[in-house]
Amino acid sequence: MKRLAPVIALIIATFIAIYVGAAPIDNFWSSLISPGSNDILWQIRIPRVTAALIVGASLALAGLMAQGACNNALAEPSILGTTAGASLGTVLAVLTGLVQVGSVGAIACGALGALAATSLTFKLANLRSQLSSFALIIVGIAVSASITAIVGLLSSMVTRADARSISFWNFGSLALITRDNLVGISITAIVGGLIAWKISPSLDRLSLGDATAFHLGVDVPRVRLIALVALSVLAGGSVSTVGSIAFIGLAAPHIARFIYGPTHRSLIIHTAIIGALLVVVADTLSRSIAQPNELPIGLITSLLGAPVLIALVSVKNNVWTNQ
Amino acid sequence: MITINEITIVRDGREIIYDYSEQIPAGSITAIVGPNGCGKSTLLAAIAGDIAPIKGTITIDELHPILTPPAQLAQIRAVAIQNQRYTLGFTVKQIIEMAGPPEEVMRSLDLTSLADRVVTTLSGGEAQRVSIATAIAQQTPVLLLDEPLAAQDVSSRQRIIELLKKMAEGGVTVVVVAHSNESELAWADKVIKHFL
Repeated sequence: MKRLAPVIALIIATFIAIYVGAAPIDNFWSSLISPGSNDILWQIRIPRVTAALIVGASLALAGLMAQGACNNALAEPSILGTTAGASLGTVLAVLTGLVQVGSVGAIACGALGALAATSLTFKLANLRSQLSSFALIIVGIAVSASITAIVGLLSSMVTRADARSISFWNFGSLALITRDNLVGISITAIVGGLIAWKISPSLDRLSLGDATAFHLGVDVPRVRLIALVALSVLAGGSVSTVGSIAFIGLAAPHIARFIYGPTHRSLIIHTAIIGALLVVVADTLSRSIAQPNELPIGLITSLLGAPVLIALVSVKNNVWTNQ
Repeated sequence: MITINEITIVRDGREIIYDYSEQIPAGSITAIVGPNGCGKSTLLAAIAGDIAPIKGTITIDELHPILTPPAQLAQIRAVAIQNQRYTLGFTVKQIIEMAGPPEEVMRSLDLTSLADRVVTTLSGGEAQRVSIATAIAQQTPVLLLDEPLAAQDVSSRQRIIELLKKMAEGGVTVVVVAHSNESELAWADKVIKHFL
């Protein structure tokens, strides 16, 4: 039952998310089985909840890739600078007028920004030719803070409505999602998910340390690079479309490991389900708590994710030891 | 056959091994002994392909470990490092399965009763046996073990030695880093102790 709980919770949460909102939906169930019958349902609510599912799954998988590639419990897109890089890549592309937020072009720029920032973190952390967990986290925080500041400056100094606000890039929002946006984030989720699936056995071996993984036949630098590409594609697609949503990349893989164990191939699916669940619940709360106002979703995910993580550490501390 | 030809290895600016040559015959047990810091583990790591000599060559059956792709190298040599750390909660069986079939080697090293134990909860000696079992499960013609007996009790030591002897008789080339003095290494076919 424990293993099925996240799936059941996700199904229930998805229906509640579609049902709940500022405007009530008349004849909810009949409208749900008749595509196009209700504009609020089919043009706003369902695209938004679908985006929440995809973004949640993507950010969770991005976190799994970050933790697997770094063999570090604290690694996640926000801490490695990936999220900030995706924001900067997208903001720069939008400010030059080349793309719009949510377009495939913006997603590509977001993914490139994510890859560049993550690579910078790894490069700086590896200056002494020894990639320590401590250096990675400290450098990642520094890179992330610097890039976030640049994004804030750009968002404040340039008055383009379509460049979005500082709040959007820092805390995320699904409010402006349209059906057209779903294509881009679906592509990045599928591509990133398939790459993650492909390298997951190598990530199991990487958890034994670089030396042992190499002895078992893993080309460590290559696998790490592929994981970072997957991480950048997944986080880049999501962040460039809905902004930064905190804690999903950190909390979802840990929750999944606690329930399903550490094998990465199994975690690919389960982490995605838990990430989707967290974002769907957070988004529903963000637009329900202070109606008709909407709270930034990143605030809700932090409030939800932090206690869950603390509870996991206190209940079972052997899922990731020696860190 | 492992051939070491006039190698020099420098680490952190210090010459660890200088102009050293050796031949390690196939189907034998070779023990590398010596005091702390004399370069025993460095020599083993060089044979494993972990580090490159600045001069000279090492070959395993004509293959240069340092130039061989990791996947191909993993079919030729297996390594159990000293102080293997486990970070994720895999079971003993899952860890050994990453290298190859686990059942027989778990039986040989008395790990069957620990098959479902999470590796992060093992004692030092148990974790070391899992590391050795993982290397053996790789079923390679060359087996490199860094201090495999260090944390073992008497019966486990005997069990490991008997298994290594059996493997050497079956044609596997076993190279072991050990702290023991020569009189305790009667089970080794060859002892290397002067390589600096």
